[in-house]
Amino acid sequence: MLSKHDLVRVAENVWDIPPTFRDDMRVPARLYADGDLLEAALTDNSVVQLVNTATLPGVVRHAIAMPDIHQGYGFPIGGVVATRLPEGVISPGGVGYDINCGVRLLVSPATVDEVKPYLAELASALYANCPSGVGVHGSLRLNNNELDKVLHEGSRWMLGERYASGEDLDHTEEFGRIPGADATYVSDRARERGRNQLGTLGAGNHFIEVDQVAEVYDQSIAARLNIYQGKVAVQIHCGSRGLGHQVCEDYVGRFQKTVKDYGIKLPDRELVCAPFESTEGQQYFRAMACAANFAFANRQLLAHLIRNSFEQVLGGKLRSFRLHQVYDIAHNMAKIEEHTISGHSMRLCVHRKGATRAFGPGSSVLPDDLRDIGQPVLIPGSMGTSSYVLAGTEGAMQETFGSTCHGAGRVMSRAKAKKMVHGAELSRKLESRGIVVRAGSMSGLAEEAPEAYKDVSRVVDVVHKVGIGKKIAKLQPIAVIKG
Amino acid sequence: MRDFEEIEHTADRSFHVRGKSFAQLLENAARAMHSFSRIEGEGKNSAREVEVQGVDRETLLVNWLNEILYLEQRHGEIYDRFETSEVNDTHLRAKVYGRCSPGGSHIKAVTFHNLAVSETTEGFEATVVLDV
Repeated sequence: MLSKHDLVRVAENVWDIPPTFRDDMRVPARLYADGDLLEAALTDNSVVQLVNTATLPGVVRHAIAMPDIHQGYGFPIGGVVATRLPEGVISPGGVGYDINCGVRLLVSPATVDEVKPYLAELASALYANCPSGVGVHGSLRLNNNELDKVLHEGSRWMLGERYASGEDLDHTEEFGRIPGADATYVSDRARERGRNQLGTLGAGNHFIEVDQVAEVYDQSIAARLNIYQGKVAVQIHCGSRGLGHQVCEDYVGRFQKTVKDYGIKLPDRELVCAPFESTEGQQYFRAMACAANFAFANRQLLAHLIRNSFEQVLGGKLRSFRLHQVYDIAHNMAKIEEHTISGHSMRLCVHRKGATRAFGPGSSVLPDDLRDIGQPVLIPGSMGTSSYVLAGTEGAMQETFGSTCHGAGRVMSRAKAKKMVHGAELSRKLESRGIVVRAGSMSGLAEEAPEAYKDVSRVVDVVHKVGIGKKIAKLQPIAVIKG
Repeated sequence: MRDFEEIEHTADRSFHVRGKSFAQLLENAARAMHSFSRIEGEGKNSAREVEVQGVDRETLLVNWLNEILYLEQRHGEIYDRFETSEVNDTHLRAKVYGRCSPGGSHIKAVTFHNLAVSETTEGFEATVVLDV
């Protein structure tokens, strides 16, 4: 186990573990945390997992953990690791099973006061129209050709089917389509698991939440994003469903042999990887891009179902309630990006596992209408607590390969949460605070109890203070929809 | 000593499992994973034949548990009884028994995190982390 004595304080809220800590480290490990968050991180194996990621071949500068770090498998959740191409590796475990798990935020011109009288009805419509729960099927039945198109084109396929607008695509990371996708490398089993799941939420920590804009920290940027205090917003948190899980499983399994072939030694078998430019590395990357595109399309279809639900409940009652897309971000992904390190431009494979891209103002990959304000970053809180909208910063470009935190981060195991919190009681507690709850599983609800998570406000304050994210607005839930 | 017990894990689920033989370890691991399912099967009994390969004991263990999850999702069933036959380090045949449960298990996948199947004086043991 690691203790605080193994860490060197570099600056306020910035801690390093030097490469002398363990023989197999290639670079230092860096952790962003305030005192309490650091204490929390040291209570489980998450910091050891961070150190393990500093051993990956080709890793540059430092292996990073965000203040919402918690124990995962292989990589810690909240980890950012960049490897230099062409010799650096790509690791399926560094992306995780839920490839392109992410968040989409929609905002409405309607105010909370206008929507409140219809809120219970709206929550019921969202629960009925957006399929949730384990193994649930969506309304679309895709044939092989259509599924290939979704895997190659992501949200763009949705444009042709009229489930998306041009604005939706502009306001999605990578414009809703990761280049390089090739469905040849997606197994039949992965296709089978995903085929009927497009437009479904799933279970676990995934949710749809109706929010109110509770506080605005930067009026001018918020206005550019159509975010105004007192207005209604909707968050979607989900990913690539069974298709992504199977892609990860396929390649983590296959790479058990690959690492031996390439003579790569690792401290944990879940970290298996392949040189990015190798046949195996390219096959995983192309399959991962397919799963990522599936996830973009999934959130796009859910956004369409949410818009229909708003229309169904509020149509004819409110004058204006149309949902505009603020942005859609991925927080489990490996991306090929150019970054400047010590004055040199480098092509990197940036793994973000439970971390969010946060490109600063001026980045050429941002759409024209957002380029000068930086990329919107969406940080969902735990159930029943606040969520945040941030903007990407130059500081993130300099320090963290254009990355920031992704959420609250767990501090309590699911088993313990279920012992401590009763699902039905939690539901009543949320309802007593004016939050409408529609959940398929009460024990699933208990596992996601706010007590099981860190305080998201502290996490966001750390990234804001160290300058790797800029606070724009705070959201508070008024309805929660879960599987 | 119990066949399996849950280990605290902050975000996911983990268990430690033992077996007098490698075959028994595989069966007990499947039972441990089943104990984490929130869902009980109902209705008609079902039985499925399973054949799994791996490059070593660890991959065989992970592939076996993943195969069970896949079959549960594929057929909308939950299995609670597992009988292995023809087990060696890289190959197994088994029969799994259960009942209907639309959607199958809520467990996403079985990971290789810190996984090592070790031999002890009493038999075999391993610690498995599940992504939920």
